[in-house]
Amino acid sequence: MFFHIVLERNMQLHPRHFGRNLRENLVSKLMKDVEGTCSGRHGFVVAITGIENIGKGLIRDGTGFVTFPVKYQCVVFRPFKGEILEAAVTMVNKMGFFAEAGPVQIFVSNHLIPDDMEFQSGDMPNYTTSDGSVKIQKDSEVRLKIIGTRVDATEIFCIGTIKDDFLGVINDPTTA
Amino acid sequence: MSFVTDSPVHSSSSDDFAALLDAELEVGSSGSSHDEQDDEEEEVDDDNNDDDDDDLDNQRNKRCKTEKLEDVEEPQGSTSQGLIEENIEVSLKRDLCTHPGSFGQMCILCGQRLDDESGVTFGYIHKGLRLGNDEIVRLRSTDMRNLLRHKKLYLVLDLDHTLLNSTLLMHLTPEEEYLKAQSDSLLDVSKGSLFMLDFMHMMTKLRPFVHTFLKEASEMFEMYIYTMGDRPYALEMAKLVDPRREYFSGRVISRDDGTLKHQKGLDVILGQESAVVILDDTENAWMKHKDNLILMERYHFFASSCHQFGYNCKSLSQLKSDESETDGALSSVLKVLRQIHHIFFEELDSELSSRDVRQVLKTVRKEVLKGCKIVFSRVFPAKFQADSHLLWKMSEQLGATCSTETDSSVTHVVSTDAGTEKSRWAVKEKKFLVHPQWIEAANYLWQKQPEENFPVSQTKNQ
Repeated sequence: MFFHIVLERNMQLHPRHFGRNLRENLVSKLMKDVEGTCSGRHGFVVAITGIENIGKGLIRDGTGFVTFPVKYQCVVFRPFKGEILEAAVTMVNKMGFFAEAGPVQIFVSNHLIPDDMEFQSGDMPNYTTSDGSVKIQKDSEVRLKIIGTRVDATEIFCIGTIKDDFLGVINDPTTA
Repeated sequence: MSFVTDSPVHSSSSDDFAALLDAELEVGSSGSSHDEQDDEEEEVDDDNNDDDDDDLDNQRNKRCKTEKLEDVEEPQGSTSQGLIEENIEVSLKRDLCTHPGSFGQMCILCGQRLDDESGVTFGYIHKGLRLGNDEIVRLRSTDMRNLLRHKKLYLVLDLDHTLLNSTLLMHLTPEEEYLKAQSDSLLDVSKGSLFMLDFMHMMTKLRPFVHTFLKEASEMFEMYIYTMGDRPYALEMAKLVDPRREYFSGRVISRDDGTLKHQKGLDVILGQESAVVILDDTENAWMKHKDNLILMERYHFFASSCHQFGYNCKSLSQLKSDESETDGALSSVLKVLRQIHHIFFEELDSELSSRDVRQVLKTVRKEVLKGCKIVFSRVFPAKFQADSHLLWKMSEQLGATCSTETDSSVTHVVSTDAGTEKSRWAVKEKKFLVHPQWIEAANYLWQKQPEENFPVSQTKNQ
């Protein structure tokens, strides 16, 4: 799920950036440092939407660096257990399939794929129903439910299922 | 910069918001049953703490405790009974989950956090994937049935000296400098065989016949790459031999994926051991699976490769030549693989799932030197335990019988010196007199070689 929240960060700035463009330098450094990173608490920072407040800078003893506490608004993405997500399938194998929803990697094991879908190996491995009406292969879009998440320093891993009602393939790349 | 003024959360409470969400969502699924347990635990703790107080207090506390318990039990009579029962069911289900495997340290079936290290990691399939032993067994048998239906077996291929030969650019001798000008384009690797990989400071030469070999073998086998190189090297080489990812797709195993140091094993392969054939130039890497192994003659294209193994001869690149395309090691091994595949699927008459490719390998091997009776001369010292010698065992595996004494049934004398008694006896009795390399050639090429090609010279002694 996406959230729009305010976060705070202490930015260290080298004196070479002081001067007329101090604020711009600070903001661009913040964007470079924070956008695309992940934290356990908030998930992935997708984009910074605005700066709320930049506090007074404190000069560090011993070095000339100055620390500014910056409060900024940003959009974050964090999956939750029980959430329903749409994801794109990236890899299909005999154990299940891997899907991606933005920066999040989701694994759906074959235990959590409906029993009537069987694995077909080949140069385009896929899961297909016995009558061939539904097929899950690379680049298919699926709706799945998250049953577990784990946040790392840089990545978020999720376990998903499509065994419940209204879950499964949304879009078949071959017919689209 | 734009300010979004209707942001629902204020600065200091963003952390609280995340905590609030966590709390809300946790309570919704399993929190309540755990809370009940927590309450009971707290009560026990209180009791223990109060042991030091006088009896009156104890009695009071006991009364409190029983009252509390009654309170806890009451809700079961009310409308929330259904919810609590459901939650107990959920936690029961979680306890009964067999945790077949984990992804990112979470069970792939119930999502619970798992910290155990049992089972095998399958990092080559996807980072963070780990499967338990039961699940591996289950997957192996379902996959086996699937593969047998398509009439395929498993083939594990080594890279270095088997399918290709690589060298670091700094190890190129002056005689090999001409190769730099002859390297093929990396834009269409399916047509080339010599590749310069500047970003890895390496040059790689694919073995002749490798493209045809892979194409034909892929119709009979599901193929894996298993190399002792590291993962980036393995993936680069896979791109060279399989640019369209049609032969190996995700099945590239490097030394980072193995479970044992300096050893290769079939535990990371999701296939039954009775259906796996291994092609490798190094026997010692497969200590536990020698019965599945077809030993390949090493491909030494670059001079550095010859030096690595202590050979002083000139390498193929220095001689400006190469292995024969149609008659080389890969071509002969392909014929053997076809033979094994044919025997497994067409000639064995037991149930498909009980057939064993290792038995087929043994049978095919025994045909190579069938009918030969071999005596060795000046190959190993007289006091040496003859039947434990490498060549003796190799000959027996190839179907020959070996003996220490000459008699009329002997067909071949294998010797390193034409002047020995047994050698002269062989010439006199019109038996074949061959160099030990005749046996090794039969082992690599899976065919009895013409004896004339392996003459024995007279060593000048005394």
